[in-house]
Amino acid sequence: MSYGSTIKVPFGPQHPALKEPEHFLFKIDGDIIVNVKPRIGYNHRGIEKAFERRTYIQNIYLAERICGICSDAHTTCYVQAIEDLLGVEAPPRARYIRVIVAELERIHSHSLWLGIAAHEIGFDTLFMHLWRDREAVMDILELISGNRVHYAMNTIGGVRRDIVSETIPKIIGSLDFLEKRTKYYMKVLRSEPTVLKRTVDIGVLKPEDAVELCAVGPTLRASGVKNDVRGDDPYAAYDEIPFNIVTDDGCDVFSRILVRCGEILESINMIRYALDHMPSGMLRVRVPMAVKPGEAVSRVEAPRGELIHYVKSNGSTKPERYKVRSPTLANIPALCRMLIGQHVADIPIILAGIDPCFACMDRLVFVDVKTNKKKALDFESFRKIVRRRHELL
Amino acid sequence: MRREDKIAAEMREKLKEKIIAIEVPRERRIFAYIKTEALKESIKFLKDMGFKHLSTITGVDMEDGIELIYHLALDGSIELSLRLKVQKDDPRVPTITDIIPGAVLYEREVHDMFGVNFEGHPDLSPLILPEKWPRNIYPLRKKYALERLRNIIFKEEDIE
Amino acid sequence: MNLLKWARIKSPWILHFNTGGCNGCDIELLAAFTPRFDVERFGILLQGSPRHADILAVTGPVTLQVRKRLIRIYEQMPEPKYVLAVGSCACSGAPFKDCYNVIGGVDKVLPVDVYVPGCPPKPEAIIDGIVKLIQKIEEEKIDEKGR
Repeated sequence: MSYGSTIKVPFGPQHPALKEPEHFLFKIDGDIIVNVKPRIGYNHRGIEKAFERRTYIQNIYLAERICGICSDAHTTCYVQAIEDLLGVEAPPRARYIRVIVAELERIHSHSLWLGIAAHEIGFDTLFMHLWRDREAVMDILELISGNRVHYAMNTIGGVRRDIVSETIPKIIGSLDFLEKRTKYYMKVLRSEPTVLKRTVDIGVLKPEDAVELCAVGPTLRASGVKNDVRGDDPYAAYDEIPFNIVTDDGCDVFSRILVRCGEILESINMIRYALDHMPSGMLRVRVPMAVKPGEAVSRVEAPRGELIHYVKSNGSTKPERYKVRSPTLANIPALCRMLIGQHVADIPIILAGIDPCFACMDRLVFVDVKTNKKKALDFESFRKIVRRRHELL
Repeated sequence: MRREDKIAAEMREKLKEKIIAIEVPRERRIFAYIKTEALKESIKFLKDMGFKHLSTITGVDMEDGIELIYHLALDGSIELSLRLKVQKDDPRVPTITDIIPGAVLYEREVHDMFGVNFEGHPDLSPLILPEKWPRNIYPLRKKYALERLRNIIFKEEDIE
Repeated sequence: MNLLKWARIKSPWILHFNTGGCNGCDIELLAAFTPRFDVERFGILLQGSPRHADILAVTGPVTLQVRKRLIRIYEQMPEPKYVLAVGSCACSGAPFKDCYNVIGGVDKVLPVDVYVPGCPPKPEAIIDGIVKLIQKIEEEKIDEKGR
């Protein structure tokens, strides 16, 4: 199968005549990617404008729904920004609970991602196993917060719910289970020849490129750069809870898998420590409805990387301006760089490697540099082609 | 002296009257307000000092102009927000992608939302606004209330 | 009962489409297909192509840019076809209803057969919605086309 002038690829749901913007435009020469141009309008809802329309309390629930996978990261980042403006600090017990929920979210997010990565490589059985085991962490989140997704734990000034002592044995039991399973999956992934073939030396991102392009999160750390907001710019109770920042020097997709697995294990230990050392006391402090004029920058290490919020207040009950920069956007320039020179068949796993919001990756367009012909594909069709191609190799 | 205060002092020494104000409200946070023409010089100076990571660029529509805030991090730790103002009609600043390549998408986003022109940017095509979005309607400008934007968009939709 | 209809009821094939949501509903919908909930044992399969799907499960509040594509996908599905609105956003637009880029609710664009509210609805609730849709199909009158 060639990607030259005789392209024989099935089209997805889109009609070829429908002119729609691509999310990634790939310039290809035969089988090799020569250039990548991103345009990621798919998910644009106009949330930043909506923030200005709602009160500070209402905005907690809007922030939560920016992303369903790292919703707690967004609410933590949000309430911290407002607490900064108000000059209040959440009480110690609340800060520990924030860490516990954030780390549980990290475990859920990374496990979810591992399943998706397995699916990209063609290991659907592994995907099923991972998502089944992931239910253990979903159960804990539901036990603590009442919901599996969108936990609504954070509020301005603290947390809304306590982690009661009766739940702790169940939490510890599930963490022990997850630790055993994660170590098993790491063993499988490290020794499976297919996994290694599909991910080692694929999508290489040199450390200097990662820094120059301002990459964040596991993508950055898998290129050996030891930056993590929890360690560099501690928030909640991270300055009191010991942990290791997981890095790997491989700089490829395999490294990104290893870093996320390592982070799951670190998160499990952090939750154990936090439960053991949880201070007693209030869950929240009272805060006023109106926020005096000022500005604040809040940063959090979401599962995908550095999340930053900026707020400007004008003395009313609604923000003057609220800015959100999600970690996926920060990694797109690095993603484009790591795709250049790679084979078209490796696109899905490289895209998946930065753990993007799935909606961003929906539509790919290919332009052959020799013939200047354009072809559009939806991801499912593309994935099928890739699978077939890898089977032939 | 805290590290943050030392950085503020070094900035004052280097940029002198081009700095309008610097504040250190708490640890690991610096807010600096500079004259618009000092943008590239400041970014270069800060990058050499170690502020290599650009977290994002924020645009704010104020009454007297559009504020651009460049959020830079030193070792991922100290976050410095560098602010400057541009006029509302024909807002323009030089691109910083030659100094910090990672700024490439943030400048496109601010251009989409506020209409700021980043001179020298390799490609300011729309990043997050949908294809059919009418040109010259910058959604985060205050003059467009939410309802007005919805009226503009859904009317455009009917035109197809 | 008509054989085709029986086959359709016994194993509906679902096409999942996200119209710009936060992905919360998507992961719960996907979770319904994993071992804990295992909706596949009922013959319900997740399909990649609209040409083989019976049910279109839509998540998200329907952003402006996705509207045409949503309609196109629906048009490509063979009759009879059904639409399942999964999540509060798909039902009504939920928190994004007033956002400038959001149309708000799938029923503004397509005819919806079953609404599954929730933010997000749990996998059990989604399965319950699918079951209700199947019951609805069963109760439909058989028309001259032999449906």
